[in-house]
Amino acid sequence: MTGWLIRLAPLVLVAALAALWEAASRFSFADPRLLPPLSDVLRVLAGLLQDARFRGDLGITLSEIAVAFAIVGPLGLAVGFFLGESLAAYRMFAPALHLLLSIPKSIFLPVFIFAFGIGFLQKVIFAVTLAFFIVVLSGIAAARSVPAGLVTAARSFGATRAQIYLRIYLPAMEPLIVEGLRMGLIFTVTGVLLAEMYGSPRGIGRVIFAWGEMFKMPELFAGVLLIVVMTVACNELLRGIEEFRKSRRRGFR
Amino acid sequence: MTTGDRSAGAADMIAVEAIGKTYGSGEHALEALVDVSFAVREGEFVTLVGPSGCGKSTLLQILAGLVPASTGRVVISGRPVTGPAPDTIGVMFQDAWLLPWKTAVENVEFPLALRKVPAAVRRTRALPLIDLVGLTSFAHRYPDELSGGMRQRVAIARCLVQEPRVLLMDEPFAALDEQTRTRMGSELLQIWEKSGGTVVFVTHGLTEAIYLADTVVVMGTRPGRIIERITVPLPRPRTIDMIGSEAFGRLRNHIWHLIAEVRP
Amino acid sequence: MTGLRRQLIRLAVLALFLGIWEAAFRLGLMSPIIFASPSLIAEAAAKDGWTFMLAFRITIFEITMAILIAWTLGIGFGVVAGSVPVLARIAAPVLSALIAVPLVVLYPVLIAWLGLGPASKVVFGVVSGIFPIALNTTVGVREINRGYATMAAAMGANRRQIMFQVMAPLALPAIVSGLRLGTALIVIGVVLSEMLASTDGIGFWISYHRALFNTGQVYLGILLALLIAGLANAALSLVERLYARRTVDQAVP
Repeated sequence: MTGWLIRLAPLVLVAALAALWEAASRFSFADPRLLPPLSDVLRVLAGLLQDARFRGDLGITLSEIAVAFAIVGPLGLAVGFFLGESLAAYRMFAPALHLLLSIPKSIFLPVFIFAFGIGFLQKVIFAVTLAFFIVVLSGIAAARSVPAGLVTAARSFGATRAQIYLRIYLPAMEPLIVEGLRMGLIFTVTGVLLAEMYGSPRGIGRVIFAWGEMFKMPELFAGVLLIVVMTVACNELLRGIEEFRKSRRRGFR
Repeated sequence: MTTGDRSAGAADMIAVEAIGKTYGSGEHALEALVDVSFAVREGEFVTLVGPSGCGKSTLLQILAGLVPASTGRVVISGRPVTGPAPDTIGVMFQDAWLLPWKTAVENVEFPLALRKVPAAVRRTRALPLIDLVGLTSFAHRYPDELSGGMRQRVAIARCLVQEPRVLLMDEPFAALDEQTRTRMGSELLQIWEKSGGTVVFVTHGLTEAIYLADTVVVMGTRPGRIIERITVPLPRPRTIDMIGSEAFGRLRNHIWHLIAEVRP
Repeated sequence: MTGLRRQLIRLAVLALFLGIWEAAFRLGLMSPIIFASPSLIAEAAAKDGWTFMLAFRITIFEITMAILIAWTLGIGFGVVAGSVPVLARIAAPVLSALIAVPLVVLYPVLIAWLGLGPASKVVFGVVSGIFPIALNTTVGVREINRGYATMAAAMGANRRQIMFQVMAPLALPAIVSGLRLGTALIVIGVVLSEMLASTDGIGFWISYHRALFNTGQVYLGILLALLIAGLANAALSLVERLYARRTVDQAVP
């Protein structure tokens, strides 16, 4: 009985926070100029979503994310698989990889601006750089997670190289691949938004940053709320898919 | 050997009065213990023995104040048990659960440290107990440097550091190999004879139960209840040879049949 | 090979590296728009070194404050949440869902509320780093075998003593891994927030000189920021060694 009650708890928490927000602002426990009521924010958001310019900025951000992810996903995984499979390659590149991982790459944002300006390209390249290493790491883990016995068995049945990759490696690595892509997406989104806030003519990041500077609080909260909801929803969706696939794989190992 | 009930009297250290324990409710209720009553005299060594699932560990946890009973009550040293009472009741488990970052003597001091007893005082109270359990040269070693038997000895010392009048032990030697277990049993008897106190010792093993005890309480399962109390007529101090004696064998067979017949 | 010889060799390698860097720059192999040479950085240090030192102090101060707050709140929350099973089951999914949020979007709100000074940087730093700390602590405490808590209760420990004298130390390895990630995120968060909008601090001066295309100063700032990140990591390793407690990895027979 308490099982589904506990699963509902986060939603109840969110609802409670929403109610608290609205009440605090409406009844002036919090300064409504600094914290506009939730209902106002939602109204403004609805208006923004119908505004062409806002939708344009949103579209630019989403396309930057899409392009960056389309690059870093396959690229990162491919490099990760290679390093995971080949012990020699791993030994050669592992120190460099770990060094680059431990360096906070966001600090080099000015260098990216020097090199690539402040346009679409720079955002994409920066986001790719930020997300690359975590995807590679997941790729390495995924490649290593395939039990060697499975491959040997398949080869003894006469499976071709392609068949081995498609029918054994890929399904075996699936959970770690999905997890790695999910983390990669988080880093990609963060990279794009950060780069937009730092220096960019268009994009949601730039827009909400400007609203903050201009003290246009309802618009600012609308934008922030939209981003938070979209990212959490996307992430939870991916996690849900992961869980679902995991529960269906019971018989695999 | 004498059998039969003994209800609580004036010189009793532990009085267990109609204890019942039910888990869950309604149709899915599980009756772990039903109407368990017995008494333990001061200075008596009692063992609780019975098949798996007869609730002996649950009963011990109730006596220790770690688990509340559903019905009935336990009176120890004149006071009803409502929660852990480490200055009256010392408890030992199957695992010593020694804190890995404390040395043996620091682990023995742990209950005193919880009570904010000053360090010097703690040390003077703990060291004699370390000697008592024969770990003098290991006092400053860490748990990962001690064998299973040694860890349980530290646990015994920790039990005794607050000078409790009652010791409750839940299969403390079950995880040890046979030889160590037998040796620990003899050592426990020596410690008990030196420091006095009332002991309730839960075990799976019939031999261990008879060897250690003044009285063996035999429990049945489904529901958990007391079948019989048996006084052990063997003289003290006990010796290993007694295990091979005829009297011991008859006692063991009797208990074995009691348990076998009750098991559903 | 003695320690002294090893240090000398390290210095020699460093000197060689700097030499090659300088040569590559002067030979035109590295674009002067994107990169700076060691000599340019040295010049920048000579010219603006004092400003950077003062900024360094401010950034260190902000980071230290954020670390103190985030560690206390994160570990405190984690120990309590991990000890109460119901709380843990609610907290863990909420915390992992929140990790998806690109925290940088909250920064404009913080600036609107707290201004451009250190306060907004400290709060942003705390927000950046607290999730891994809280999550790792919660999970770490939850994984501890209940037997330790039962034993401590039997020894007369009250709830608070069990949580902080038994569970928290047992969870230390998990807590430390959370602190590593969280602290790294705090350092990055503080420097990034300074870069985005600030009145002082290393990040501020990096952005200031970026706008002026003073590559020397920009790279000087980046190096100082990397130094701070390295110092934080070293400090954490020191803490780890000081509090190295024997863990429960040893097999219980």
